[in-house]
Amino acid sequence: MNQNSLWKLLSGLGLAFGVPWVLMIVVPYNREALAQPVEYAEGEEVAGNFAQYPSSVAATVGASDFGAEIYVREGCVYCHTQMVRPTYAGPDMWHEGWGGRQGQMRETRPQDYHGESVAMLGYQRIGQDLSNVGSRMDREALHRILSNPKSVSSVNMMPAYRNLYVKNGDEWEPTSDAEALVDYLLSRKKDQPLPAELK
Amino acid sequence: MSDLNATSEDILERAEIDKSVRFPVMLFFTSAAVWLFVATALGFLSSLKLAVPTMFQDMPIFGYGRLFPAHMNALVYGWAMQAGMGVILWIMVRLTRVGLGRLQSTCVIVAGHVWNFAVGLGTFGIIFGAGRSLPWLDFPAWLWPLLGASYLLITIWVIPMYRVRRAGGVYVSELFIIGAAVWFPWIFITANVFIGNGAAPVMAAGTNAWFISNLIYFWFAPVSLAVAYYIVPKIAGRPIYSYPLAKMAFWALAILAGWTGFQRFMGGPFPAWMPAISGAASVFILIAVIATATNLLMTLRGRSRLWEFSPSLRFTMFGMFLLAMYGVLAGLNAYFPVGKYLQFSHFLVGLDTLAVYGFFSMTIFGAMYFIVPRITGCEWVSGGMIRWHFWLSAYGILTVVLVMLVGGIAQGGNMADYATRFGLSVENSQGYVIGRILAWLLIGISNLWFVYQMGLMFIGRGRKTEGPTLIHVEPGSVATSEAAAGLTSEEVV
Repeated sequence: MNQNSLWKLLSGLGLAFGVPWVLMIVVPYNREALAQPVEYAEGEEVAGNFAQYPSSVAATVGASDFGAEIYVREGCVYCHTQMVRPTYAGPDMWHEGWGGRQGQMRETRPQDYHGESVAMLGYQRIGQDLSNVGSRMDREALHRILSNPKSVSSVNMMPAYRNLYVKNGDEWEPTSDAEALVDYLLSRKKDQPLPAELK
Repeated sequence: MSDLNATSEDILERAEIDKSVRFPVMLFFTSAAVWLFVATALGFLSSLKLAVPTMFQDMPIFGYGRLFPAHMNALVYGWAMQAGMGVILWIMVRLTRVGLGRLQSTCVIVAGHVWNFAVGLGTFGIIFGAGRSLPWLDFPAWLWPLLGASYLLITIWVIPMYRVRRAGGVYVSELFIIGAAVWFPWIFITANVFIGNGAAPVMAAGTNAWFISNLIYFWFAPVSLAVAYYIVPKIAGRPIYSYPLAKMAFWALAILAGWTGFQRFMGGPFPAWMPAISGAASVFILIAVIATATNLLMTLRGRSRLWEFSPSLRFTMFGMFLLAMYGVLAGLNAYFPVGKYLQFSHFLVGLDTLAVYGFFSMTIFGAMYFIVPRITGCEWVSGGMIRWHFWLSAYGILTVVLVMLVGGIAQGGNMADYATRFGLSVENSQGYVIGRILAWLLIGISNLWFVYQMGLMFIGRGRKTEGPTLIHVEPGSVATSEAAAGLTSEEVV
């Protein structure tokens, strides 16, 4: 064996790995990073009166940007997905409220995650999908389930997030962290109507 | 390659080479063993927390969303990668007959301490709320340069070793080790550059899934295969059955593994061809698995009784069995008509555990039972303890996989029925979660045995009498596992 064999081996390894690396990571990454919002066509009527898809306004509620950090910190992603699959992969959309509001239910699209740092697609589904939780629950219900999940359903693997609440008599009062997390959850509405050209 | 042909100079030279890596390798092995125990305890706690969510509910550090990632990351970086790096170094110096110089050895030891420090900080970081919620990449972002740099300073030395190696041709194990050493920095840097800058959130999540899959197929698999292709011929006292077949397995893995990963997000917000190609690649990887299984079994043909006596062979072959199992189950999981039901179910935890604690850890245990006596100069204390370690680990890992597979099917089945309310899938999977707790308890006990034995070896309190420690045999009563199995040595061609 001559010393060339090291370079031959290394270039073989590089080629075997480089091709999928470019095609599976680099190219799709750049395509997503360069994607532009799509304007709704003239005269197209859209619930919510958005000018374009994705709308940057739709995805924020109050302190939802800070709430996203709480979501990450507490590891919500390990039990909750934010990914609604199309019907060929499973009946995600038929679970109550998963697919979005009545009349605009659909699977999640890449652009729905626009503006997030990392899409919280999920790891497991020990709890419900949260893609559209902002449409199906209100602030009070979210606080109730975060401070005392057992009050919602006795068989529930969700832990209580007592560190986000302060006990006041019999009540659990939300801290600013809890309010931010709920703002974030209320902003989960991945059902913005698609422009005709994307349908 | 066999001890039978070894001259006394050979033996002296080997001892010299072993000595050159003694301190770094023992550093990695002992700290990995401690991390393994920590990770096992965290695995037990996180499973318990899932079954009893109200436990310690006023303390945020006991949230499942913190315990589970802390467990997984401690297992991957504290135990698996660290033990793997020790094995890589030792096998490489043995095969190339190029020892580590004093300066290199110091560099490896310093980098090893930095690695441990970083893993410790990261694990505490996750528990105290600095986690990133990226599976297998949860450590705080500022730790990654530290981990990456220490990895490079530890494994870079295998490249010059390969270049100036004095032993004849190329061993298959060397190929796998060079592959693993080169690929990891690439996938690691890719993951950290492409994730978290906010330019492409969906591809960031995709890159995360790709990272997990590639860490398994491009690091865990090659390192454990390097061990298998080293240990099995050694113990069997024969050369590997077919060198071309082994090379074919290597290149099949090299060409296919990079395409995997996106099957985790079948039906997700990706172009449909991406999960499809990942799924196909995961299935085709079975070629490499079948080639390896055939090769190793043919090498052991007629001598399989050895596995009863040799701890190294027993763990290694069990690890290879689990590798085949992982290949089949991962292929099944990536096959769309099946995978769409198992996706996001408990099965995923079973699969990930099967990769890290299953095939990888078992082969690494095999390597450790082989290596540690050679570098410390004393023998394992008792074959009985090794036997306990083996059976508790084996039952533990098989329980995790079985329970999570069946639990995943139950859970996925419930979720696939649109008329069923979601809560039913939670109720029905409760029993399986209890199975997961029991499995981690078994694994925890088995690792207590392991840490204890490793500690004795580390402080030099191993058995000092002649002869290896074998299973089912009075320590030191026979010289080799071949003698114990009643086999005669073969002439090596």
